[in-house]
Amino acid sequence: MLKLAAQRLVALVPLLFIVSLLTFSITDLLPGNPAELIVGDDATQEQVDLVHERLGLDQPWPQRYWDWLTDAVQGDLGTSFFNSVEVTDAVLLRLPVTLSLTLAAVVVALIIGIGAGLIAALRPGGWTDRAATAGATVGQALPNFWLALILAVVFAVKIRWFPATGYTPLTESPTEWLRSITLPAIALGTGAAAILARQTRSAMVGVLQTDYVRAARAQGLSSRRVVLKHAMKNAMLPVVTVLAFQITVLLGGAIIVEQVFAVNGLGSLAVTAVRRQDVPLVQGVVIVSVIVVVLTQLVTDLLYGYLNPKARPS
Amino acid sequence: MTKVSPGSGLGAPPASGPSAGAAGSLLGSRQRFARRFFAKRAVIPASLIVAAVLVAGIFAPWLAPYDPLDQSLLDTLQGPSREHWLGTDDLGRDVLSRLIFGARIVLIAVAQALTVAVVLGVPIGLFIGYMGGWWDRIVMRVVEAVVSVPGIMVVIVIITVLGTGLTKAMIALGLLFSTAFLRLARGLVIAEREELYVRAARVVGAGTGRIVRKQILPNVAAPLIVQITLTTGAILLAEAGLSFLGLAVQPPDASWGTMLTTASRFINLHPWLALPPGIAIALVVLAVNLLGDAIRDSIGRGIGETAVLRPGAEGAAAVSAIAGHPSPGPQARADVPPDAVLVVSSLHVQFPSPRGVPLTVVSDVSLHVRAGETLGLVGESGCGKSVTAMAVLGLVPEPGAATAEAILLGGDDVSEMSRRDLEHVRGTQAAAVFQDPTTSLNPAFRIGDQLSEILRIKRGMSRSDARKRAVELLDMVGIPDAAARTRSFPHELSGGMAQRVAIARALSCEPKLLIADEPTTALDVTVQAEVLALLRDLQRELGMGMLFITHDLAVVADICDRAAVMYAGEIVEQAEVTELFANPRHPYTEGLLGAVPQTAHRGTALRSIPGVVPQPGEWPTGCRFAPRCPYATAECTAAPIASVTQDTHLFRCVRAAELTLEAAQ
Repeated sequence: MLKLAAQRLVALVPLLFIVSLLTFSITDLLPGNPAELIVGDDATQEQVDLVHERLGLDQPWPQRYWDWLTDAVQGDLGTSFFNSVEVTDAVLLRLPVTLSLTLAAVVVALIIGIGAGLIAALRPGGWTDRAATAGATVGQALPNFWLALILAVVFAVKIRWFPATGYTPLTESPTEWLRSITLPAIALGTGAAAILARQTRSAMVGVLQTDYVRAARAQGLSSRRVVLKHAMKNAMLPVVTVLAFQITVLLGGAIIVEQVFAVNGLGSLAVTAVRRQDVPLVQGVVIVSVIVVVLTQLVTDLLYGYLNPKARPS
Repeated sequence: MTKVSPGSGLGAPPASGPSAGAAGSLLGSRQRFARRFFAKRAVIPASLIVAAVLVAGIFAPWLAPYDPLDQSLLDTLQGPSREHWLGTDDLGRDVLSRLIFGARIVLIAVAQALTVAVVLGVPIGLFIGYMGGWWDRIVMRVVEAVVSVPGIMVVIVIITVLGTGLTKAMIALGLLFSTAFLRLARGLVIAEREELYVRAARVVGAGTGRIVRKQILPNVAAPLIVQITLTTGAILLAEAGLSFLGLAVQPPDASWGTMLTTASRFINLHPWLALPPGIAIALVVLAVNLLGDAIRDSIGRGIGETAVLRPGAEGAAAVSAIAGHPSPGPQARADVPPDAVLVVSSLHVQFPSPRGVPLTVVSDVSLHVRAGETLGLVGESGCGKSVTAMAVLGLVPEPGAATAEAILLGGDDVSEMSRRDLEHVRGTQAAAVFQDPTTSLNPAFRIGDQLSEILRIKRGMSRSDARKRAVELLDMVGIPDAAARTRSFPHELSGGMAQRVAIARALSCEPKLLIADEPTTALDVTVQAEVLALLRDLQRELGMGMLFITHDLAVVADICDRAAVMYAGEIVEQAEVTELFANPRHPYTEGLLGAVPQTAHRGTALRSIPGVVPQPGEWPTGCRFAPRCPYATAECTAAPIASVTQDTHLFRCVRAAELTLEAAQ
């Protein structure tokens, strides 16, 4: 397992490098001079030049990238164009919020998705199967932010089970955290749940027809054990692959859902940064999200290795 | 929010084959596509929804009752009324009119983003796929990097550069989704490039451009259409999301996304506002996704998932007694010896058929196996041997159902057992070894764990005892270095070794009956003999009965004491093996004997029985073998044939008395 982890980690370095290169180039792709953007329309040429120099924009491109990269590796992602806020601080302040929302959504997606897929697979073609499949088709089509609005109206405004807006950190109050995260997590996780349900169903239907499931039954193991242990471990293989991709999608989706519930995560930071063309902040948000994605992929890779002995390095 | 459908990317290429250009076959496949496509229930309503959006978008100024930007500050936030069918928003604008003009935004957004995605993705994908080498490697690294970033982040970066607005946002989305088209086109080209005909064309000297145009593009078209449909749904959701964030369509323009932004501000005061645009988005995305699925399924072959609706695996309590009285059957019980470990009397297995009449696959099968005895169950594939064996364990695959006067395992009737009792009997009274050892062991667990789990659950052993016993069992079936082998996964074993493990598993609870379902068929010839010898030795050692299913009479001669020959769901002959080979009484047995090299007469040509086993449901009324029988007469086809027992020899042939059949040598 350690060997697999090391292998995967090494493979992720070039990926991070390419992403950093791509995100760094946006400064140079920006139409006009970022310095002019910062100082505003009324500034004199001297002021523009001053900012231009302060940003290091007079340096050649490879030099600037190298400087940025060496700083970034040490955890310094630069300073916002518009205020003296350190990008690293700003991003790290918001990251736990977005992460906890994303994780909660993953949990929702796993519980609903695998549960529904499993129930559907036990009786292919039966009414539970048809209901779950129809539900998954609808779930995939619902815009997450609209679902968020509807959930807020019903469960926060009409029946006041959950707060309509805001976020309570886990460290402050676990119960309040759970209350504040429930509706956003359901809104965010439903789409992924639909996809996982379809995947689980088709994988499980296939696995339940295999010889080894029949052999396990013939050996007198209980139905529950055969389905939940013997079949499940195999059926989860394709599901884990899809899950890895869905976590990336959920992290992105969190940005929108946060807006609905006025949760101050990476979403509002990113949206403000884009509107102002605040390049260092955008870069920071992107790089940090990619690191998160890459780490989750590492975890899902290890999970895949655990589920599928054939994928382990021998 | 970017659902770049992972499954649809690099699937197998559609196989239009070298004759893709032939007008006839193309027309045929198109008709076939249309038939399958429109047969799907969701297609017509989904098409209607898409058509409605097209009409609303194109004719918006004529259809909308009001100007979508007309404010009326006296009628703000109203519910549905005669004047405003869907009410008004915070500035008194007509919601219906804004919804209709929003459809126009949908069309523009999809057209723009798709154009960018296809125009950029497909040529680059074709190019790098065809060139391979460094081009391919560099571009694919970049694509991997882009795909690993959440889609919305990619779009946000691009919008940072381009600025906000619908077209700019759609260019950003197009760039993002171009990666999906790029990978699709590349994958298809790589697959196609290997095809013989492209190589042939290259040798002949056709230019690269010509090859791409004539041979690759036609094959790309079908999966491309699927990808376009699936991407459209994703674009719709993404556009709505970006507009909702204020990065795409800008107020006061009416798009479904911006309408939801407004709705979100007044959600407490007037939640109604959120319904029309939200339902509109969901319906259109649903319709587009359904069309995409329908197109994908109709094109078939290799793209995406196909719904499997084969019989399920669970056969819980699938055996039930024939109502009430388990009385002795016509010829069943009289000759059942007291030491029988298995008695099956009058077993029937039926499957429901699409036409409503249940399909019988096994009819009136009676047999028994004594302790220490091996009964061979012989017949061609599809004659019902395996189903019979599974019925013994109560494991007839769903939706099949078995009925029997009795199925006695160690004196208890399986057909009357609860699921819990059945689970208890399986493994301890009777256990099974299956045909393909590589698929009958669970690939995800170590073989030692698979064995010790059964020992712990079924025999209540402690963890350490079970582990010790697992090693002993592996040792018993002749696995070298058994202790170390317990740590192996099934894929690390050869077929022969895996079958030995499967035998060890079957014997783990010391069953009185071992069901061996063609246990050597999937193995190499040399290994077959070893496994047979192992089974014979173990049986002698443990004194268990064995039900040995095979299509190979040579194996029967080798290992069985008695044999039952099955044909088309029923037993046609049953006798001691020596008697059966020396004195066959059914023409089918004669045919089988003549077809086996070891038993056929030397110097005569090997014979085969003409024709094939009739499918269940197509069995003749009279003797089921009559259509293939060289001796058949009118009386054979008149009525069902009853079986006759002379001494211990059972046969089901009306002409048995007059015929002299050829014995094995």
